[in-house]
Amino acid sequence: MNETVINEKEKPYPPEKTTELDVTSAALPKAAVLSKRKRNKGGKTENLMGYLFISPWIVGLLFLMAGPLLFSLYVSFTDYNITSQMNFVGLDNYKRMFTEDNLFWTSLWNTLYFVIFSVPLTTAGAVFVALLLNQKIPGMKIFRTIYYLPAVLSGVAVYFLWMHLLSPSTGLVNTILDWFGINGPAWLFDPEWTKPSLILMKLWSVGGGMLLYLARLQGVSPALYEAADLDGANAFQKFFHITLPMLTPIIFFDIITSTIFSFQIFQEAYVMIQGGDLSSSGGLEGGPANSLLFYNLHMWNNAFKIFNMGYASAMAWFLFFIIMILTVFHLKFSNKWVHYDGGDKK
Amino acid sequence: MARGFRLGFVLILLFSVILSACSGGSDASDKNKDGKVVVNFQTFWGSETRKPVIDKIVSDFNKSQDEIEVKHTFVPWGDIWTKNTAAVAAGNPADVIVNDLHSVAHRAKNGQTEDLSQYLGEDLKNTLYPNLWDSALYQDKVHGVPFATDNRLLFYNKDAYKEAGLDPEKPPTTWQELEEHAKKLDVKKGNSYERVGYYPLWGSFGAASWMSNADDGKGFIEGDKMYFATANKIEGLEWVADWQKRLGKKNVQAFEAEFGSGQTNPFISEKVAIWTDTANFYTQIRDSKTDMNFGVAPIPAFKEGGRNWNEGGGFVMEVPKGAEHPKEAATFIEYLTSEKVQSYWAEKNFDIVANKKAADSVVNALEGDGKLVYESAINNLKDTPFHSVPVKYPDYKSIVDPIIDNAVQGKISPEQALKKAEKDVKNSAK
Repeated sequence: MNETVINEKEKPYPPEKTTELDVTSAALPKAAVLSKRKRNKGGKTENLMGYLFISPWIVGLLFLMAGPLLFSLYVSFTDYNITSQMNFVGLDNYKRMFTEDNLFWTSLWNTLYFVIFSVPLTTAGAVFVALLLNQKIPGMKIFRTIYYLPAVLSGVAVYFLWMHLLSPSTGLVNTILDWFGINGPAWLFDPEWTKPSLILMKLWSVGGGMLLYLARLQGVSPALYEAADLDGANAFQKFFHITLPMLTPIIFFDIITSTIFSFQIFQEAYVMIQGGDLSSSGGLEGGPANSLLFYNLHMWNNAFKIFNMGYASAMAWFLFFIIMILTVFHLKFSNKWVHYDGGDKK
Repeated sequence: MARGFRLGFVLILLFSVILSACSGGSDASDKNKDGKVVVNFQTFWGSETRKPVIDKIVSDFNKSQDEIEVKHTFVPWGDIWTKNTAAVAAGNPADVIVNDLHSVAHRAKNGQTEDLSQYLGEDLKNTLYPNLWDSALYQDKVHGVPFATDNRLLFYNKDAYKEAGLDPEKPPTTWQELEEHAKKLDVKKGNSYERVGYYPLWGSFGAASWMSNADDGKGFIEGDKMYFATANKIEGLEWVADWQKRLGKKNVQAFEAEFGSGQTNPFISEKVAIWTDTANFYTQIRDSKTDMNFGVAPIPAFKEGGRNWNEGGGFVMEVPKGAEHPKEAATFIEYLTSEKVQSYWAEKNFDIVANKKAADSVVNALEGDGKLVYESAINNLKDTPFHSVPVKYPDYKSIVDPIIDNAVQGKISPEQALKKAEKDVKNSAK
């Protein structure tokens, strides 16, 4: 992923510490380097130009990201209510999170449940679909388009579509289950089935990840397969020893990003619960029996309904902490199973 | 290299100066070119039916004024209050905003609203319904002026009543009668229902409302006192939970899902014979052009001779903290709650308005079913408590609702549920 064009000596300033995933920051020095190539002397002007070019990003980072970020860190130690108070309360918010707020645990559990099932399933689903779409049969482009289509559609329209599909007595899903004599569940209306419903919905739009895998699959050198054929490898062996290892960098990327996004699930629950105005208790904030009260939804309620911004910020930082640990964990263990072509990492 | 960083820093500073210079221009709308004070007014009334009405009200006001000019901005329902909170924090809120009646005190406590007591005329209070007025007070100060309210009515299908051999002029008056009627109105085919007589949690009267109805109109939290596991509330919740047992969880969920998408209302499509909803629901029936005959009745009483305890909500006009022109805003609010404006609003939108005379005049102006519904809703006001968000436990609903949900689903007994709810709510306040 690193820009190999850049000669180390030519870099106008110390290389930024970029991770594999940080596409934007890796691309920026390239622009600066290009300007440098045109005029080889006068480093000062070039530095100036370089900074000028990246200034929108730096300003954005400092004022729109870093500023609020640090502010929220501070706020998490206060009883900030957005409008009138901000007293330092030490670790009270964090203490309350772990010891007094039952809904915190409910929301954490709901979110973990979603992450644990949706991340592996969508990743496996995307790989599987990519493999199928990598065959050489006529009309493949049409299939690829069809499978990618759900990734293009997004937002509220999709949620409404799924609310109809999952309708217990007239929805398409239960109608089909009925053909096989299966009495389908009430999906979004049954606390036991609400989360599986959302996971199912997520599976439908694996097209985005599929595209990445497909691109990678197309790039695998046929020579590898030929060599394997000569050695008498069967299809399974080829898959496990060639295809899968070649896919691992993308799987790695996919797992990290989809873990992060899954932890942040909010919209789906927010829209699909509020879409209907009926429930046994009248209030619909967290879905039937709070089964869709996700972490971010609980955080949002605290911030903007109860005006408990201090507590919400503490929750946000704890989520950051969880995701951070998981990502570091992934990165640490990645060299055990992620295979890079260049061979610089094993 | 250090120099390079310095340069970069200077550039950033430069950039931010430009940014802040750009944003400085927003105060220009303070006074318009005629020297009138500009009052910014935000509502979520952007629909085809509501927007023309509120725009007309605003333009009438502007024509009658030579000191104030009101500018109305529509902000979508999903955003308006979040944006308002942010605007209050940033110090540039609107001057008048429509907000929720239940949470006036909650916002006042958090310093989000201006105290309007000094700006409003003495008489205003007496022109509005007193229990509404009281709901918008915080520590005896006026933090919002009620604009419109709602309460629940029992809509019942008279044709279905006749068909089931019931007297269409005698709607249920007690819980017991309601249950008896509902059973007779059920039309069952095999294991599923073609028509459900009634289900207490459909429409807009939730389990908490039924429990309040059973418990003399008392909510879970009144002032400093808690009324969770009272004998009446337990009995009330047991009754509510029994309906699902009788009809079957599957049937209830299937029905809910069918009309959850909001396209067809099951009462209008005659799949449910009795329905609880606000007076506005009448406009849906009217506009559906159905030829069904219906009647309305108050929410039945818990026991014979008891009161028909209802559940009220509504909207207030509020001046966010830090608004530039609270005095002018108050003048506009007085206009909005005047008899003339309120009756115009009520006629056009079928809302129960806060102004007593306006509400009465609308009853007189209406005829037919509309009159029946509006009058019934106004009669309900005497039995309508407004269960405001308790300032000490603003989050109580999100704690209590799922527990009650579990009781309705039969996972926990009503008594255990209410006791647990009380305990959890108490724990939630530090």
